[in-house]
Amino acid sequence: MRRLKRKDSRKYLRSVVAMSELTVQDARSIIEEQIETLKKRNKEPEWMTKLRYKAMDAFFEAPHNDPIIKDPLDYIAKAEEEMYPEVKSLDELPPEMLALLDRLGIADVEKKYIAGLAVQSDTSIVLNDFLKEWRKKGLIVESMEDAVRNHPIVKDLFLKQFNPYESKLAAYHTAVWNGGIFLHVAQGLKVPMPLHLFFLIQNSAMAQAPHIIIHAEPNSEIHLIEGCTSPVLVRHSLHLDMTEAYIGDGANVKLSVLQNWPEYVHTRPMTRARIGKNAEFINTTVGLGTGKSNIANPKYWVDEGGYVELNGIILGQKDFYVDLGGEMNLDALGARGLNASKSVIMDKSSVITRGLIRANAPKTKGHISCDALILNPEARMETYPGLISQVDDAELSHEAAIGKIREEELFYLMSRGLKEEEATQLIVKGFVNPLLKDIPVEFVVEIRKIIEMAVSGGM
Amino acid sequence: MMLQIKNLEVEVENKKIINSLNLSVGKGEFHVIMGPNGSGKSTLALTLMGHPNYKITNGKIEFDGKVINDIPVDERARMGMFLAFQHPEDVEGVKIIDYLRLLLEKVKGIEPAKALQIIPSKAKEVWFSADMLSRYINVGFSGGERKRFEILQALLIKPKLLILDEPDSGVDIDSLSLISHKIRELYEQGTSILLITHYGRILEHIDPKIVRVHIMKDGHIVMSGKEELVEKIEKEGFKKVFEECGCNE
Ligand SMILES: Nc1ncnc2c1ncn2[C@@H]1O[C@H](COP(=O)(O)OP(=O)(O)OP(=O)(O)O)[C@@H](O)[C@H]1O
Ligand SMILES: [Mg+2]
Repeated sequence: MRRLKRKDSRKYLRSVVAMSELTVQDARSIIEEQIETLKKRNKEPEWMTKLRYKAMDAFFEAPHNDPIIKDPLDYIAKAEEEMYPEVKSLDELPPEMLALLDRLGIADVEKKYIAGLAVQSDTSIVLNDFLKEWRKKGLIVESMEDAVRNHPIVKDLFLKQFNPYESKLAAYHTAVWNGGIFLHVAQGLKVPMPLHLFFLIQNSAMAQAPHIIIHAEPNSEIHLIEGCTSPVLVRHSLHLDMTEAYIGDGANVKLSVLQNWPEYVHTRPMTRARIGKNAEFINTTVGLGTGKSNIANPKYWVDEGGYVELNGIILGQKDFYVDLGGEMNLDALGARGLNASKSVIMDKSSVITRGLIRANAPKTKGHISCDALILNPEARMETYPGLISQVDDAELSHEAAIGKIREEELFYLMSRGLKEEEATQLIVKGFVNPLLKDIPVEFVVEIRKIIEMAVSGGM
Repeated sequence: MMLQIKNLEVEVENKKIINSLNLSVGKGEFHVIMGPNGSGKSTLALTLMGHPNYKITNGKIEFDGKVINDIPVDERARMGMFLAFQHPEDVEGVKIIDYLRLLLEKVKGIEPAKALQIIPSKAKEVWFSADMLSRYINVGFSGGERKRFEILQALLIKPKLLILDEPDSGVDIDSLSLISHKIRELYEQGTSILLITHYGRILEHIDPKIVRVHIMKDGHIVMSGKEELVEKIEKEGFKKVFEECGCNE
C-alpha cells in the first residue's frame, strides 16, 4: 500500500482556554465576535448572519436542561484569529488522520474499495475522484459554508427542523456553527457505494459545531458513513453537531455514525429527520468512544408507509455518561419505526436509553428493544421505553433484556481453552453483532478491535 | 497416567454428590461410565473440567502427573482435556466460524488463513454445511446438531483426554453411527477416552476388546469390567444388576 506523506502535526494543535464564570455581557461579546469572524471568513449571505444573531438572542433566553453541563457559559471559548494552511488534497492530511485511514485500509483511496471518500476540513472539503465523477450525475457533497453560498435551496432547509429557542445548546450551535456538509442526492439517483465522510477540525477556536444537511430527493438512495473516529485536533471540551435530514418520498437513506471521541469531550449530537411517503431511513450510531458524556435525543417524523430505524450501539467505559433517546412520530397511515439499542456497560459508566414512539395514525407499527450487557457491578443502566398511541389500530411493543454474561456460556467457551478475556471479548462482540449489519466490513473490523481493547482494559 | 482420580468427594450447593471415587485412565485407554439417572456422572465430568459450582471437598484429580484441583478450566483445556457436554450451551451472537477460527488461533496456534481452510473441511465430515458455520453457537440447534458440533470441536482440537457426556442422547441412528466413527478416529489418533453413556449402541464402531466399563451408583463406582457389562445392563437393567452384586447395601 502506498504510504501517504507525513507532516508535522504540531502546527495543527493549539490550545484553547475555556473560560469559566463568564458574565452574560462577556459571553455576548464573545459570541458576537465569533459570528462576525464566521461571517467574514465564509462570505456568508445576509440571511445566515441574521439567523446567527437571532440564535444568539435565543441563547440567553432558551431553557437549559443538561445533567452534566450545568452552565453552557463555561464552554464558550474566546475566538482567536490564527490561520492554518488549507488542506487541498488527501496527501496533505495531518499524520493522525492518515494513520487512521491507514489503519482502516483506506489510505490508498483511489484504488481501494472505498469509493466515495470526503474529508471535511474547516471550511472546505476534499473529495476523491469518485465523488467528482458522481457530481455530474447529481450527487452534491459540499462543505456547509460553500453550500450556504452556492445553493439557494439550503436556505429552505437550514434550521427548519430545529428552533433556536428550544434549548441553549441548539441556540449556541446555530449562532456559531462551523463546518459540516451539505449532501444532496438528485431525484432517482442511486449511489451504489457508501460515502465516507471524515471530519477534520483543525483551525477553529470556536465550539465544534458542524451542521449537516442530508437532502435526498424522491426515490434516491445513499449510504453516508460519518467517521467521527478522526482525531480531534483542537482540544474542545464540547462538541455540538446538528444533522437535519430530508428523506424524499420513496428514498432510501442510511446514515451510520461512528463516534470515537477522546475522553475529555462532551458530545451533544442533535439529529432530526423527516421521512417521506414510503421512504426509509436507517440511522445507526456506534458510540465506541462516547467521550466524557454523550446525550442525544434524535427525532423523526414519518409519513405514510415510511420506515425509520434507529440502531444504537453504546460502549460505556470508565465513568462516562451516555444517554440515548430517540423519538419517533408515526404521523401517517402505515408508518413504522424501530428503535433498537445494545449497550455494553463497563467500569463505572452509566447508560440510559429512552426510546419514545408515538403512533399518530392508523395501522402504524413501532417497536423498542433495549439490550444491555453489564460487565461490572458498579456500572449502571436505566431504560425508559415510551409508547404512546393516539389511535386504535396501532401495534406498539417493547422489550428489554439487561443482564450479565452468563456463567455457563463463559464456562463453555473457556472449557475449550479460551482465556476469560478472550471468551468475554467474543461474547461482547457477538452481543453487538446484529446491529452492525449496515456497517462496512472494514469498520466492523475496526469496531471489533476497539471493543476488544475496551473489554481488556475493563478486566 | 493420563488421568488419576483419587478418593474424590464433590459437593454441589452443600450437597455431597460424589464420594470416595477412584478411577484411572491411562494413555491410549478407552473407558466407559454407565449409571442410573442422577448417579453423578455429569457431576464427575464437570468436576474433572473444573466447573466452579462443583466443590472438591476431599481427594484429588491428577492429569498428566499434575494435581489439577485448583487449576482453572481454560488451563485444563490447554493441558489437553476436553469435555463434550451433555447439554452444550447456546452462545447468542457468536458465529461458529468466528469462534472456531479464534479457538484454533489461540489454543492451537494456527494462522487464521490456515484455519479457514481446515474448518469447513472438518465441518463437512460431521455434516455441517457452510451455512451452518455462519450460525450462532448452538442457537436453535437440534439435539443431533449440538452433539455433532461438540464432536467437531474435539476433532479440531485433538485433545489428549476426551470426556464425552452422553454424546448419543437425542441423536438419530445415522448421527449415532457417525459419532461412534469419529470417536474411534480420535482414539486411533492417540486420544484417551472417557465416555459416559446409557446405551451400548455408541460403541458400534469401537473394538470391544479395548473397552473398560465402570458402573456408577450414588456418586461412586460400584463395579468395573469388560464390554459384557454393557450388554448385561442393557438386558437386565441397573436394579437387577445392583441386587445381584449386593451393591445396594
Ligand atoms: N448444580 C446443581 N445443583 C443442585 N443439584 C445438582 C446440581 N448438579 C447436579 N445436581 C444433583 O446431583 C445429582 C447427580 O446429578 P448428575 O447430573 O451428575 O447425574 P447424571 O448421572 O449425570 O444423570 P443423567 O444420567 O440423568 O444425566 C442429581 O441428584 C442432581 O440433581
Ligand atoms: Mg448427566
